[in-house]
Amino acid sequence: MEVVVDINKTDKQGGEETMDRTQQHHHPIIAKIKTQILNKKMILVALIPIIILGGMMIFLSSPAGQILLHNSGNSLPEITIERIEFQDSKIIAFLRNTGTTDVIIAQADINDRIQSAAIEPGKTLSRLASAKVIIPYSWNPGEPYEIGITTSDGIRFHKSVEAAALTPTPNLEQVSFFAIIGTFVGVVPVMIGLLWFPFIKRLSTNKYTFFLSLTAGLLLFLGIDALVEANKIAAQDVAGVFNGQMLIAMITIVSFLALLYISNKLVERATTATTSSVKSSKLLQSSSSSLASAATDSRFEGRVEERNQQELQHRKQSSSSLFTIAFMIAIGIGLHNLGEGLAIGAAVLLGNITFGTFLIVGFTLHNTTEGLAIVAPIAKSNSKVMLRRLVMMGIIAGAPAIVGVWIGGFLYSPIAAIIFLSVGAGAIFQVIYCIISWMKNNNNNIDVTKAREGRKSAWLNPSLIVGFIVGMIIMYITSLMVSS
Amino acid sequence: MLRLQLVLISTVAIAILTLVFAISSSFSMYSSNTTNYDSRKSVSSSGDNYRIKAATLNTPHGVYQTTGDILDPTNQVIDDRNKIVIDPMKYLRTFNYGRVSTLPNGTILREFTLIATDNKVMEISPGVFYNVWTFNGTVPGPTIRATEGDLVRINFINNGSKPHSLHTHGIHPAEMDGSIDMVGPHGGKFVYEFYAKPFGVFPYHCHMQPLEEHISHGLYGVYIVDPKKPRPVADEMVMMMNGYDTDNDKENNFYTVNGIPYYYMHHPIQIQKDKLIRVYLVNMLEFDPINNFHLHANMYQLYRSGTSLTPSEYTDMVTMSQGERGILEFTYNYTGNYMFHAHKTEFAEKGWMGLFLVKDKNELDKMVNDSNNNNNFAQRNTATTAKQTLPGGHGGSSRY
Repeated sequence: MEVVVDINKTDKQGGEETMDRTQQHHHPIIAKIKTQILNKKMILVALIPIIILGGMMIFLSSPAGQILLHNSGNSLPEITIERIEFQDSKIIAFLRNTGTTDVIIAQADINDRIQSAAIEPGKTLSRLASAKVIIPYSWNPGEPYEIGITTSDGIRFHKSVEAAALTPTPNLEQVSFFAIIGTFVGVVPVMIGLLWFPFIKRLSTNKYTFFLSLTAGLLLFLGIDALVEANKIAAQDVAGVFNGQMLIAMITIVSFLALLYISNKLVERATTATTSSVKSSKLLQSSSSSLASAATDSRFEGRVEERNQQELQHRKQSSSSLFTIAFMIAIGIGLHNLGEGLAIGAAVLLGNITFGTFLIVGFTLHNTTEGLAIVAPIAKSNSKVMLRRLVMMGIIAGAPAIVGVWIGGFLYSPIAAIIFLSVGAGAIFQVIYCIISWMKNNNNNIDVTKAREGRKSAWLNPSLIVGFIVGMIIMYITSLMVSS
Repeated sequence: MLRLQLVLISTVAIAILTLVFAISSSFSMYSSNTTNYDSRKSVSSSGDNYRIKAATLNTPHGVYQTTGDILDPTNQVIDDRNKIVIDPMKYLRTFNYGRVSTLPNGTILREFTLIATDNKVMEISPGVFYNVWTFNGTVPGPTIRATEGDLVRINFINNGSKPHSLHTHGIHPAEMDGSIDMVGPHGGKFVYEFYAKPFGVFPYHCHMQPLEEHISHGLYGVYIVDPKKPRPVADEMVMMMNGYDTDNDKENNFYTVNGIPYYYMHHPIQIQKDKLIRVYLVNMLEFDPINNFHLHANMYQLYRSGTSLTPSEYTDMVTMSQGERGILEFTYNYTGNYMFHAHKTEFAEKGWMGLFLVKDKNELDKMVNDSNNNNNFAQRNTATTAKQTLPGGHGGSSRY
């Protein structure tokens, strides 16, 4: 409070100089006014560095500042060819000025041979501005091309395309073709994977732990894969000015933390609901022993309707954290599949891919494991899993692949690709974290209730370690089928 | 169901956000600026008074209507004389005979002044600016010409920031060779003096180290020595084959004959049907081991190095390494457009190609009269061409 008084004494507007301290302490209105004044001062104090900073920037950009910074090196022009499209008797290059100065585009070439071209909206590009260069050219499908752009200072920038292919235009035929590809790459394999649900449900605890950690292994592979892919795009297609690699790191961490927070909130909410219900204590017990008893549980989701609705409701509540994990996995995989679809679509757009049966089969095999990852955590929940909900999770996980192929194939942007992949990676890492912490808690529960196996660290469980390793290996091997 | 909704909502929100981002970043490329540029005007104008007008791009691959600018070095003209590295049409038929005087012993003295600079940034192809090093402000430098036995005196001034020299091919004493002794920068002077011999066509160039750098930046030109008994009257022209490595990666970005890529494609060299054409051809191309000259629909008599009056070959194709040169003589018997270009296709497609436009005598005469009142730069060039065609050779001499 002394600080408050001191500040007020120097304040012209404050009429409280005559007040003594006891008055201040006991008069709520005056105290409130004082707080407001204090807040104003706080804002002022916070603004001072910003004002000084602004002044400095104005000075540095003024003629005087320019003289001061003179001779501090050449600012070289830089442009990035972000995308190349092949249209009927035309090649179109999309440019962006990614340097620090204005750039004037002088000439265009194909395979290092000068060509007549047009540039829209104009040949002068201010910083970060974009333009498209239209080069009338009778290109040959399947052949590699290098597009070069020469700026007014004679520097040539170029980008290569491995095999020219007509750039897809969003007509009905192309949209449905992409939808089919997305379905085969995303939805179908996830749905197939979900069919493992009854199998997983009947497994013994140890085997279940194995499959759960196998899931974590699969996901870890996918997460790293997303980061590697994003990094590749950042290095190849994103101009240095956008600082692609740091964008990946930032978005991955942000999405990890955000999803961690959201999923914790969801679990909390569900738990609160459970404990407030009448049969809470009974449910908690059944929950702790659910993993053990589930081994002999022969019921499956097809007969959901026959069950007592009330009981079902409670069971669902008790295993809410498992469902949350499953949903988070579905979302994480969905984002991953969005990135995967994006990559496929972009590859079509950029002429880097030829669709063969082998490639599609490869993706299908590779992604079937994703369905397994979704069903593994919910398989041991004691509640009945509605088919509807399972299908919904499959769609959440798989359908984004279709959207991804559309976006990638029709309007590819390397920055957007990086963002998708990074969000996906963050989501996947969050899911892995959830699975591991869930397994740890449940192993402890088993230890306490059964007192059979003695105290073990969750990490020393051999099924867990083996599952993790096998998961990674499966993903690596199936990934070989899709890497070109 | 609440948490399911939450999960779904957050998923949808993330999806929409990313979708919006992707679409906006893609569509920003398509967004068109309301300021449109008239292509021709933008080449010449220094940035104001643009008219809004759609431009048409005509190519062998099709026609494209654009609201933007045209990037077309095969058809575009650099019509700002202050920026252009050379006026190829003027250079083509300009032979400098120097300030002529007769010495007491009867020898003809020809005095020339060559000034080297290395600070100019000039337009070497439409829209492309390059730091050229020049003799008398152009690349190639002026063509100097003498008759066998004349005394040639070249007052060489180095106004550049680096040491330069003048090395002339031909026969002369060591101290006049300009290969070892540098002439200092910022106003250094040296007088090169030698007798013009033998007759032939030669390059001259700076010989300072690093030689590659000095030559690739443009310090070279043509030096012609006529035999005492003149060659037959002809429409004479000089052609210097060169290149520009504008991004300094030791590979040429542009190839030209007489300094500007594609120049003679949009400004065909007008010649008269049935008239003898004589081309003094020199190759100073840096980096690439060879260069060549191919003439369409015709054959030429080739005098290698121009040191003989007897042709060494009858061909339509000569290949030269750097520093090689020759005299080409030919006559067209049909009117029309005829290409000439490097038959190293890469060079041709980076600018080294041109056209001869063969016309009847009447047609050429008419054209000269028509264009006398025209101030257009391009047409003035054409007029010069025609005028100089008629006297048949030593027309455009000027003093240096």
